Amino acid sequence: MSDTIATGRVSQVIGSTFDAEFPEGHLPEIYNALQIEDSTASTHVKVTGEVQQHLGGGRVRCVALGNTDGMVRGMKVVDTGRPLSVPVGKGTLGRVFNVLGDAIDGRGEVNHDERWPIHRHPPRLQDLSAKTELFETGIKVVDLLTPFVRGGKAGLFGGAGLGKTVILTELIARIASAHGGYSVFAGVGERTREGNDLWLEMQETKIGDTGRSVIEQTCMVFGQMNEPPGARLRVALSALTMAEWFRDATGADTLLFVDNIFRFSQAGSEVSALLGRMPSAVGYQPTLGTELGELQERITSTSKGAITSVQAVYVPADDPTDPAPATAFAHLDAFIYLERRIAEKGIYPAIDPLASSSRILDPQYVGQHHYDVARRVQQTLQRFRELQDIIAILGVDELSEDDKMVVHRARRIERFLSQPFLVAEVFTGKKGKITPIADTIRSFEEICDGKWDHLSEAAFMYVGAIEEAEEQYKRMQKEVGA
Amino acid sequence: MANRRLLVKRLKAVRNIRKITRTMELIATSRFKKAMDRATEAAAYTKKISEIVGDLGRANLKFSHPLLEKHATEKKGILLILTSNRGLCGGYNAGVLRLALAHYRELKGKNVECSIEVSGKRGAKFLAFQKVPVAASYMGFDTPQFADVDQLATRFISQYIAGEIDRLDIAYTRFESSSRQTAVVESLLPLSSLGGVPAAAAKSSVDYEFLPSAQEILEEIVPAAFRAKLFKCFLDAAVSEQIARMVAMKGATENADEMAGSLKQQYNRARQAAITSELAEIIGGAAALG
Repeated sequence: MSDTIATGRVSQVIGSTFDAEFPEGHLPEIYNALQIEDSTASTHVKVTGEVQQHLGGGRVRCVALGNTDGMVRGMKVVDTGRPLSVPVGKGTLGRVFNVLGDAIDGRGEVNHDERWPIHRHPPRLQDLSAKTELFETGIKVVDLLTPFVRGGKAGLFGGAGLGKTVILTELIARIASAHGGYSVFAGVGERTREGNDLWLEMQETKIGDTGRSVIEQTCMVFGQMNEPPGARLRVALSALTMAEWFRDATGADTLLFVDNIFRFSQAGSEVSALLGRMPSAVGYQPTLGTELGELQERITSTSKGAITSVQAVYVPADDPTDPAPATAFAHLDAFIYLERRIAEKGIYPAIDPLASSSRILDPQYVGQHHYDVARRVQQTLQRFRELQDIIAILGVDELSEDDKMVVHRARRIERFLSQPFLVAEVFTGKKGKITPIADTIRSFEEICDGKWDHLSEAAFMYVGAIEEAEEQYKRMQKEVGA
Repeated sequence: MANRRLLVKRLKAVRNIRKITRTMELIATSRFKKAMDRATEAAAYTKKISEIVGDLGRANLKFSHPLLEKHATEKKGILLILTSNRGLCGGYNAGVLRLALAHYRELKGKNVECSIEVSGKRGAKFLAFQKVPVAASYMGFDTPQFADVDQLATRFISQYIAGEIDRLDIAYTRFESSSRQTAVVESLLPLSSLGGVPAAAAKSSVDYEFLPSAQEILEEIVPAAFRAKLFKCFLDAAVSEQIARMVAMKGATENADEMAGSLKQQYNRARQAAITSELAEIIGGAAALG
């Protein structure tokens, strides 16, 4: 490649992709950022594109990272000579960016010494951290059945309206507010309003008792629903690059929240056909696995520092076998599946205790006791689910006495898996509960042992540790009496 | 999709269950008729005998019989629970057992030492699970025979007269009409309701002449009344069981129908979705190649 700045011309515009023609010998490399800034009689166009394909004859095909409205053939295209880069460093904290690394919070320029390209290599094999330890969240069902890994990846899978974003926000409130390191939030193709809500909330939430707000330790990158597919395709990488700087340069524990990784795959599928790739299963891009792998493999902990990541994954039509969520599944340490049937019962978080799992729910990592209790809870719920058809047809009276007991406890466990959230206080009117993991294990063990069989089912709804269920029961008894 | 195969499997299972419940319903219906006939036949006899005993009671005679006398202190009792040998009869057993257990606890609270005798496997199993001691259990009362019940009755009578027990209670499902059966606990010994025939029924009171003597007749008729009453309880329980099974199986069949319907709908939808997506893929592929 030559050092001189190559310029070319737009030769074709197809939706959010465009072709550009460059003189021989000045062909921009794949993933290089191209800039178009030109005016026609009516509009001014300023777009950044990313080279995806070399077509031959000096032509390259690009994905536009902005709106292509008003773009016409013949506009001047400038090769920047390197991939898109975003500002990194402590100056990014407290700020909100778009995919290009421009601040969009209206607070002026970003102080930065460095810009890093968004396309980078994943950490090398020998640099990966081998440490595995539990990451406590204070959410009962998560800590018990799908414990998070410090420096690992957790996925929240769920269909529309099951509360993925609420759980993610809750985790931010719980983890980020108790966390000393830095946080990066990537808003990928979700509602702009939610991003705004989160931004405002982060300014209000304080870290522990330091008096500083969470936003001061956080940087946010948004490429929401209103953005063209190119932006949604790359915004996760922009955010990740900023997170990587915190990991590599400061060595601090870094949190990366992504809402929603499915939109990344979806954006890829939107441009895939425009780039001339043949659609694969269910109309997804043939490169679905590669694209996601390139992103996910970079979200890892190294010997220098750790990135703990929580990602929301939309499950189209509640079908987890859909290629996009199925591909994402393989990359995660902890897998939380939200189930519509549970949400319909009014139990939130609507986490399916049987479909969800975690790599570290293993006596080796969480300890024998924790493991045993978790297995007992799962067995009880599993048996209950098996019995459900029989109950639906013949009624609960036909069960054997042992099975009746299983049903009795399973219904209580099911309700006990609900928990009031910090971020949902305004909606539920109940104070959020942070339950220490020891309390969680003890509570579930006692329910399995039958110590709390006498409490009514309603008493188990939305409480923290088991003692609170007892209190709630007494309170309810009193109300009935009065 | 694995999902579809799963649906087919469940659908088959539900249809099989439906077949069974439907058959059980029909069987229960025919058994109910038989049991009902026996019960109505026995009812006539029981009614007459209690009428006679009632008349005797009103005859203003000085009479006494050990079965009629309440023992001075209540220390020991027997609680006889009538349940079914077979399941699939809805809340039939649960209703009786719940009531019986409550009664058992109440007696215990009054310091009455109560031994439980149970008829029917279901009851025996339940009590074993609840760890309630059972003194005796009987399994042969699917279609109660008078001779068998008579044996029991004789034993109860002799135990009562000998003072080994101070009361006998029976928990069973009383048959009131074919649409109404209630689980009840009744006290059979001491026989208290001898004179308890409503006064209205006594308007056609007849003046009896007792030969050889009222006392001797009483000796015969009081135990007979008790036997008849006990037998009636068994018959009632048998009828109620069949009715309960009939109703339960009818409900189950309906539920299974409903479930099969919704499963079939789900399956059809999944099948259609799979076809559509396959078509879309083929067409998309063809378009991309062309």
